[in-house]
Amino acid sequence: MDNIWLVSALWIGLALAASLISIWTAISVALIEIMVGAAAGNAIGLPLTPWINYLAGFGAILLTFLAGTEVDADVVRRNLGASIGIGIISFLAPYLGCLLAARYGLAWSWPEAQIAGIALSTTSVAVVYAVMVETGLNKSELGKIILAACFVTDLGTVLALGIVFANFSVWLLAFAAATALAAWLLPKFVPWFFATVGQRVSEPRTKFILLVLFLLGGIAVSIGSEAVLPAYIIGMVLAPTFQREHELAHRMRVMAFAILTPFYFLKAGSLIEFGALVSAIGLIALFLGLKMLTKFAGILPLTRLFRFERRDGIYTTLLMSTGLTFGSISALYGLTNHIIDQRQYTILLTAVIGSAVVPTLIAQKWFMPKIGAAKQEV
Amino acid sequence: MIAKILVANDGSEGGFRALAMACDLAKRYGAALHMISVEELPDFPASIGEIVEIKEAENHKFHDVLQRARAMAEAEGIDIDPEVVAGHAAASIVERVKALKSDLLVIGFMGHSTLYERIIGGTADRLVRLAPCPVLVVK
Repeated sequence: MDNIWLVSALWIGLALAASLISIWTAISVALIEIMVGAAAGNAIGLPLTPWINYLAGFGAILLTFLAGTEVDADVVRRNLGASIGIGIISFLAPYLGCLLAARYGLAWSWPEAQIAGIALSTTSVAVVYAVMVETGLNKSELGKIILAACFVTDLGTVLALGIVFANFSVWLLAFAAATALAAWLLPKFVPWFFATVGQRVSEPRTKFILLVLFLLGGIAVSIGSEAVLPAYIIGMVLAPTFQREHELAHRMRVMAFAILTPFYFLKAGSLIEFGALVSAIGLIALFLGLKMLTKFAGILPLTRLFRFERRDGIYTTLLMSTGLTFGSISALYGLTNHIIDQRQYTILLTAVIGSAVVPTLIAQKWFMPKIGAAKQEV
Repeated sequence: MIAKILVANDGSEGGFRALAMACDLAKRYGAALHMISVEELPDFPASIGEIVEIKEAENHKFHDVLQRARAMAEAEGIDIDPEVVAGHAAASIVERVKALKSDLLVIGFMGHSTLYERIIGGTADRLVRLAPCPVLVVK
């Protein structure tokens, strides 16, 4: 189909359908977009044009930046030992477990196995946060430690994705220096700039942020790294500013979720092959099981060390076994850069989706801390 | 003997019809009246922002629901104990019924599409099945 507006209508129509299904079923719009993308991609074959790839990539960068702005540095600082300990192990255990299983158990090449390890190392901060809000645990010490550990795990995943496949040259050092300089300068400059230009319909604040993300993302890609790495780091250092600027954060979320991330998640879903899904169901279950098993092996003993109750420890471990956004970004990075093939992508992305659903359901059904639903302030 | 009534109010007209009926019953039986409203957050979200946006919209909606409910109860001359929780509607309401040891649960009939009712089943259906006390469904 060459007609750009008809192609646009098709993609936006699917995004609209996903939004309506999401409202109807109360399931995350991102997950529904992946499923709608998978159904449409296999039924009618969604066309992937350069401009769709651009919008999808833009969506992934913005989604990652916004995830970075959600990091609560105070929470991490206040619970430094537990959060860094649990967070690092939560990244390393599944990363190494899935990497080695893919390399030696399935004879995947090292780069393919690296993508498997990174995609399945993630923890979904959003899934954890939603459960925390429902139970009121986000206000408790336990909840704050879990959330802080999730941020640390995500940072591990993003760093791995950005570094493992980078070309080690002088340009990598230049990129690291540019990112470090931006991370040091921006928290000082951005509040002044935002106050100076103010809130306008032309949004110079958003444009400035996008300029920084595109510049650093461009440098990252030119050295073989990934544009989401600087996006997450810049999001993290600007988190205090964005947590004060509610209206700006709201506007950027609307922009992202209305017209950018649907292209990313629909595209991610459209590349799932139903044939591979059926033939590799055992491998999908294996990767999902391995992710949960390695998270348990790594995190559960630490929860004992940090004196969590047994039930709280299992609950924490299950929540930290979830994953969606960074897992899908990692798998799509592997496919886009021809590191993994479409069958491997299908296996990994489906295992990632399974990890968003299965541990959450088990945690809520059998290991919910006995505190009941929390009363909400409205 | 009905000593405690719990009414579930989702802010719809059906929810407020249920509240009106619950107020009337509370008055007749001299029962304590509790109200629960449930904010439904999306399952398996992709970003905290998604939760924050929906939570803010739900907070805004239920702020108005609580105000209207208090005004209705006051007009009937009865006390009401309203609360808002976040979670799955049926599970949260059943949990509250058990915690309160409520004698009666009053709910509004939700008019989902036929397809939804066939595939998923309505909240009212689930509450009738799961609640450990009599359930009054107000149409």
